[in-house]
Amino acid sequence: MTRQGIKELELAAAKSRRNVLRMVEASHHGHLGGAMSCLDIVTALYFYKMNVRPEDPKWADRDRFLLSAGHKCMVQYAVLAERGYFDKSVLDTYGGLKTKIPGHPDMHKLPGVEANTGALGHGLSIASGMALALRAEGKDSKVYVVMGDGELAEGSNWEAAAVAAHYGLDNLVVFVDFNGLQISGKVQDIMNFTPVAEHFAAFGWAVRDIDGNNMEEVVSTLDALPLEKGKPNLIVAHTIKGRGVSFAENKASYHYWTPKGDEMAQAIAEVEANIARLENEVKEAAK
Amino acid sequence: MKGELKDPRKTFGKAVSDIAENDERIYVLSADSGGSSGFKEFAAAHPDRYFEFGIMEQGVTGIASGMATTGKIPVFCAIAPFVTCRNYEMFRNDLGYMRQNVKIVGRNGGFTYSDLGATHHSLEDYAIMRMIPGVVVLAPQSPDEIRGASKAMLEHEGPVYMRIGNPPIPELYDGEREFVIGKGQLLREGTDLTIISTGSTTVETLKAADALAEKGVSVMVIGMPTVCPIDEEMVLMAAKKTGRIMTVEEHYVHGGLGTLVAEVCAENYPVPIKMHGVPKEYATSGPYDELLHYYKLDAAGIEETALEFLKK
Repeated sequence: MTRQGIKELELAAAKSRRNVLRMVEASHHGHLGGAMSCLDIVTALYFYKMNVRPEDPKWADRDRFLLSAGHKCMVQYAVLAERGYFDKSVLDTYGGLKTKIPGHPDMHKLPGVEANTGALGHGLSIASGMALALRAEGKDSKVYVVMGDGELAEGSNWEAAAVAAHYGLDNLVVFVDFNGLQISGKVQDIMNFTPVAEHFAAFGWAVRDIDGNNMEEVVSTLDALPLEKGKPNLIVAHTIKGRGVSFAENKASYHYWTPKGDEMAQAIAEVEANIARLENEVKEAAK
Repeated sequence: MKGELKDPRKTFGKAVSDIAENDERIYVLSADSGGSSGFKEFAAAHPDRYFEFGIMEQGVTGIASGMATTGKIPVFCAIAPFVTCRNYEMFRNDLGYMRQNVKIVGRNGGFTYSDLGATHHSLEDYAIMRMIPGVVVLAPQSPDEIRGASKAMLEHEGPVYMRIGNPPIPELYDGEREFVIGKGQLLREGTDLTIISTGSTTVETLKAADALAEKGVSVMVIGMPTVCPIDEEMVLMAAKKTGRIMTVEEHYVHGGLGTLVAEVCAENYPVPIKMHGVPKEYATSGPYDELLHYYKLDAAGIEETALEFLKK
């Protein structure tokens, strides 16, 4: 991909980060840390990799995206809005009564959402079922999943890990958003599933470790899919929790954020400065 | 009760397989359970629509949901407690909340896995399944009803839980009767008492009604193969006509058919109700017929319970 293409994706990500803040402005709270850590990946999927039609979200041949760690839902709403699935004014209803964008995604409320995730450890099974059925139909559609790293402790994930490998689902692509932190502290202290890639490799997955906040690396990984023919794909995306909001970065306490003092103003200033910088860089790269 | 006894599992497996011959949306999923659920022939004939996953009921429930999002109709049958209790959150979220068109069948329901003990009994499945919004709960009472219920559940758009037993059972009707989800069956007219039964206990209930008739007690018998949504109209008809209702089920007395009937009557037409079933305990183990006798769910026990109720 060209430097301009990368910069355009980074700009889309920066704008999506602004969308996340807009939701927190509306509701005064939200799962910030995880939404920000996997945001570059979700942006690259929707703006670069996935075969989707925002104007026809149930198009039968679409690629699917499931956010297994459903509490990170602001990332999905932010990117779907930026990609044109719905009007950005909906973002202002986050946390409100009968909103289309509840605190965990609901496929019957918002076009573009594929599964009602939120209870951890469900997404991988649902995605495996989708991948199996799509392959059985002879479709070329892919199924992409973002899981949390703390979520790996749910045993049901490992049932699905076995299934995907047993059936050789190379149309299934799973990112583990390895920001290393969960609500109570460091993932490795709470329940250690490292090295994550080796765990999945032992089940029969093709695996890769990447910097999940480096757009160039995310894109080159997406270009390399399937990592190995006949094997499901597991990408351990090393990320920074709260990425893009300096005071929240790498802090478990910002897993769930209720802005205090001038935190919101500072966060908005940082993200908007980043948008302005990237707009210039896109222009420069286009020359 | 008519003709030879038939195996519920084989009856179910054949019914689904016959329909699946002409409906390519139907996929059969197995958690090392398909062969024992009557799907051996289907597995051999349609390997492209039969998926084995090994012993992982949670995973299979989620997988079924994912498959259903693409328009498939997954059917997953295994031992009842493992497809209701074990995977409850997956049933609730992935099938119920996601409104997916998946059919889960709990076989060897109640305590038909009698001597295997309480881990393998399923005496709360109606109760926990009926609490998931949008889930239909079926408990067919005869081979004919298993065939009808299988067809009805596959035609119904949405998640269904169906319980079937294990020991061979007789037919209840002459010829085929259309199975309509949400509709009860008036099996005997009567005036002194109504007994409403579901699933495996209906045959013994009819025998009890016959014995009671010989003693001059006129019993209306209703078979209720749809536990949820319950046939409110028929329950209220019975309440008004006989003024007393006894419910019979191979299930805990709490939360199942009895509770559903009591809810309907309490809100619309209160009448004395006797809820007869298994007390809330880990049921003892032993031969199935002896268990039925121990918990007074055989004809003699049902008759005795009805007579005591009528004295009150």
